[in-house]
Amino acid sequence: MSQTQEATETTQSQRDAVTDADVTLIVGLEVHVQLDTQSKLFCNCSTAYGADANTQTCPVCTGMPGTLPVINEQALKLAIKTGLALNCEIANYTKWDRKNYFYPDLPKGYQISQFDKPICGAGHLTIADPKGAFETRAIQIERAHLEEDAGKSIHDESGAKKPTKIDLNRTGTPLLEIVTKPDLRSAEEAKAFLTELKLILTYIGVSDCNMQEGSLRCDGNVNLHINVDGQKVATPIVEIKNLNSFRAAERAIGYEAERQLRVWKKDGLGIGEAPKQTRGWDVANQKTTPSREKEGAADYRYFPDPDLIAVVTTDQEIAAIGATIAHLPSALRTDLMENYGLEAYDTEVIVSQGAGVVAYYESVADFLTKSASGSKSPGKTASNWVAQEVLRYLNEQSCEVGDYPVSGEQLGELLVRISKGDFDQTRGKDVLAQMVENALDLDAAIEKLGIKAVDANEIQSLCQQLIDENPAVIEQIREGKGKAIGSLIGKARKLNPNINPNVVKENLLKQIGI
Amino acid sequence: MSNLAQDVAKLARIDLPDDEAEATQANLEKVLNYVQQLESVQLPDDIEPFFGAIESVNAIRVDQTQPSFAREEILSNAPDSDGQFYKVPQVFE
Ligand SMILES: [Zn+2]
Repeated sequence: MSQTQEATETTQSQRDAVTDADVTLIVGLEVHVQLDTQSKLFCNCSTAYGADANTQTCPVCTGMPGTLPVINEQALKLAIKTGLALNCEIANYTKWDRKNYFYPDLPKGYQISQFDKPICGAGHLTIADPKGAFETRAIQIERAHLEEDAGKSIHDESGAKKPTKIDLNRTGTPLLEIVTKPDLRSAEEAKAFLTELKLILTYIGVSDCNMQEGSLRCDGNVNLHINVDGQKVATPIVEIKNLNSFRAAERAIGYEAERQLRVWKKDGLGIGEAPKQTRGWDVANQKTTPSREKEGAADYRYFPDPDLIAVVTTDQEIAAIGATIAHLPSALRTDLMENYGLEAYDTEVIVSQGAGVVAYYESVADFLTKSASGSKSPGKTASNWVAQEVLRYLNEQSCEVGDYPVSGEQLGELLVRISKGDFDQTRGKDVLAQMVENALDLDAAIEKLGIKAVDANEIQSLCQQLIDENPAVIEQIREGKGKAIGSLIGKARKLNPNINPNVVKENLLKQIGI
Repeated sequence: MSNLAQDVAKLARIDLPDDEAEATQANLEKVLNYVQQLESVQLPDDIEPFFGAIESVNAIRVDQTQPSFAREEILSNAPDSDGQFYKVPQVFE
């Protein structure tokens, strides 16, 4: 971040007078995404997660002298694809730089990264404003660059000063570091940004975004702008490292905002008057704590890597990569609202589940729409069933929509039968349960439950029977007590479980003469 | 550049005794002053920066895995290991 304004001297009484309304939270994020390649960024070792320690390394990724890195084409393509999805300018000319620092899990003593010619330049990502319904905010992206990951250090936590163990399997895995401008104004906004970013990355298939496995890691730069009698005062910037869940990011940023205000009210130190600090999120105690890092500003001494040459990508090549982006979540939201008449909330339930669920939903809704079923709001009906029935199953079984035993067309056909009045919603759910549990097709499930279409004559005589046997209830209905009809429908169900309550209700009213 | 030699030594994790630091400092300053002459060259505004000595571009490989080296062989380069992991002294005291 680049706040350069001088800190303003403030008095204790001025600081005491500051209220929440005077404080603006300023947040920028750095997100590391592991790109979904088979092999590492500069060598042919596998990137597969979970292998035995140090079984996926070679002289290149362990930094042996005399080896030469060669860039992975797929990593470049995935980086460009991500950049295009984030509306970034894509560089026709990009180069590689060494970021020098010593750490035991960085065998070369430098990380190959990109300094002044990143593959993706300025862009933006639009998020729904958590403060207001249907408002959106464009969060500016500063850049996104490719770099290699470091290895994994396993520190001895026993206090016995045992050696640290190093696993270099991850060393050289391709990462895309996405850097935002300090544009985010609340912890909720930061979470909304991360959620939308992850959704986009998943839709375009550049990363599995598995946070447990470290495929998506986030650092945040946080400080406050405080209005003191019309003057803007900025607090020192704090970098919060390794926010390894969206919840952690939201909590840590929220905590840090409160902490910085508390500290500033006490010491009054502004940006430039205290060194930039690195802190970590302590999940157990729900607070940020200073990181065990060496004092002094880091000096990475970037310089062009003499082992690598530049990459030139033509506009045609970039356009060809762009053509592989099918649908972005934002476009699908618009589609679902415009084509199926869904509300924003229902749309989000579907879209947030990924491209597979969207396609499934569309097949259900399309089937229902095209059939002459008389369904008044096929889009909404389909979304209710997908959200309540299908997503619940996927959740319970922790499986993908591709594993759901009932096809979109079959569910669509089931909804058509309900809409036509063959049976009601409740019976429909029994039918679906049969289809799911016993892998039956629709007709077989209906037959298994013994559901038969009840013809008009049968309904009529059933209604007459109810009228004859329940004169008191009929009297109540005549007097305008509409609710009384419910007890008759309950009785009708007992007489014949296959009746459609709506049809019975209509017939009853007609036969009573209302 | 008063502490140049010590700063570089610190970044490189090298112990530089004071008696050597003085000579090293003088040497580094000589090198830097020599290279700094380049800054006095007047260049036209429209000249593109030059990043490397090789003008060719796009040495790229297809994303394919190949068998990695045997762990035993890789770890044989390490000063210390337990057969599975590299072993290094703790970084933080
Ligand atoms: Zn390797």
